[in-house]
Amino acid sequence: MRPLRIALTKGRLEEKTVELFERIGYDCTKVREKGRKLILPVGSGEIEVVLAKAADVLTYVEHGVCDMGVVGKDTILEHGGHFFEVLDLGFGRCRFALAAPSGCDFYAGYAAKTIASKYPNVARRFFEGKNMDIRVIRIEGSVELAPLLGLSDGIVDIVETGTTLKENGLAVVEDIVPISARLIVNAASMKLRKQEIEALTEKMEAEIAKKA
Amino acid sequence: MKRYNKITPEGTKDVLFRECVVRRRVEDELASFFAARSYREVMTPGIEFYDVFEGLETGILPENMYKTTDQHGRLVVLRPDSTVPIARLAATRLQNLPRPIRLFYNHPVYRSNVQLTGRSDETDEFGIELLGASGLKADLEAISCAAEALERCVGRYRIEIGHADVFRSLARRLPVSEEVREDIRVAIESKNYAELSNLLDPLGDLPAAAAMRRLPRLFGGAEVFEEAAELMCGEDTLQTLGYLRTLYEALCRMGLSSEQVMVDLGLVQRNNYYTGVVFSAYVEDWGDAVLFGGRYDNLLENFGCPMPAVGFSVRVDAITGLRMMQEEPADVPDVLVHSDAGFEARGLQVLNKYAQKELRCDNSLFESREEARAYAETQGIKKIIFVSDEIEEVCL
Repeated sequence: MRPLRIALTKGRLEEKTVELFERIGYDCTKVREKGRKLILPVGSGEIEVVLAKAADVLTYVEHGVCDMGVVGKDTILEHGGHFFEVLDLGFGRCRFALAAPSGCDFYAGYAAKTIASKYPNVARRFFEGKNMDIRVIRIEGSVELAPLLGLSDGIVDIVETGTTLKENGLAVVEDIVPISARLIVNAASMKLRKQEIEALTEKMEAEIAKKA
Repeated sequence: MKRYNKITPEGTKDVLFRECVVRRRVEDELASFFAARSYREVMTPGIEFYDVFEGLETGILPENMYKTTDQHGRLVVLRPDSTVPIARLAATRLQNLPRPIRLFYNHPVYRSNVQLTGRSDETDEFGIELLGASGLKADLEAISCAAEALERCVGRYRIEIGHADVFRSLARRLPVSEEVREDIRVAIESKNYAELSNLLDPLGDLPAAAAMRRLPRLFGGAEVFEEAAELMCGEDTLQTLGYLRTLYEALCRMGLSSEQVMVDLGLVQRNNYYTGVVFSAYVEDWGDAVLFGGRYDNLLENFGCPMPAVGFSVRVDAITGLRMMQEEPADVPDVLVHSDAGFEARGLQVLNKYAQKELRCDNSLFESREEARAYAETQGIKKIIFVSDEIEEVCL
């Protein structure tokens, strides 16, 4: 049988996952010295790591070309999909929040609000929950610019410490939902390779609990 | 304006040659198997009134149905589900038939999916419905048919069985709103342990909450029943569990191995019309279930003719995709028949004779024998029959 294939979100989540793998005894030398390779063996060949962009991790896992994946809850909330979300890995903690220029009352007035966001679906759903009609504008880069330039009344974005907001004269109006890295599993893999997947998940879970 | 006259809509595709051959083969195998089990074929229209599906909790959102209107402005949809139209048909056309009624169908189903995810909007479903019968015998018949169908089409498979009442009877014991209950169901369906904890933590240590918390992890072999027996509370839940166990053991006695059948108590399908046993099946190299099914005893009531029923559908396109990886059907004609000028009619007679022998025959439309021979060579045809006064067989 082919190795368990795990898609990791490139960057910080990848580093944290590799650390976690090493703590539970998997040799990750090949990942640490990866060069430009995107598919790398871990341990003694029973696991294979695939490096991908966050949203692509969901796609690969949903289609079953990767059995498991590590991805932020932010990506899951924005893109959705059909897979199992089995473990909160505890790292990559931050939150989605609505922010607006500090000192102004975001909800004041009768004019429909405009929200800039990299996460239009999250933004839309949040305001739908409030029965509020809003206009969402998708922004790809630094979303903080949009209210500063007068394009939007507020932003929906990931907030970690709030420093970037503060430096740009913005403040959190409301927290939307906490975020952290998640371990996801393809539905068919979960059923066909139950033992391997459960064993790995339990090891990771125990290690996370130990650290906490 | 851009004309979209050279491509097909997103989520649809042309099916060519080998894929057609494989798909027809899969369909023929399933049709002859179901016919041998006394199921009779029915066809429902590709277009149905939207009202047929309205308010039925099929798990298909209205926005995911392809809709249009008829000449009178009434809303119609392209068939978004297989079971509901069959239920409508059985309740309105077959209410006087002696029961049980065994039906099978083979048709495309249309759903508009999120773009650019690689999902098909047009999928082929082949399935059966066993109507007018409830109880162990009927459930066993449906699941064993599913197993046998997969055995014939793909060989290796794994069927998982669960029961809609496991979740329902536990949910009844939780003091939560309808919305929270649905959130819990979604968390269990997606085996989202973290979210499930968030939802259940506020409820304290109710036994039903503790059982609910374990639900998504309760899948596997016979050991699941042992663990569940300790966790589950309430006479009704235990009864459901006992029934599922009887079913599981009967399937094992039928010869299904622990590789082929497993239990998943966290199987809470999106189709809320399921009322009893639910099952789905997975095969290697396919990222999603290739078969879905279950018991839906209340569905026909909606059409004025209450009747218990159980059924399942196989994703023929998925099976075809898998079989394409495994087999190489012959695509090259066996013989090319070329008739010289003036002998065209005789040439066709000869061709018919070969075709009757179940050989694949290609009729040469070329003027000269040289052209015919060159054509046979490029196509990889091994034998040419030249027809004139006499009939000449040439092997290449």
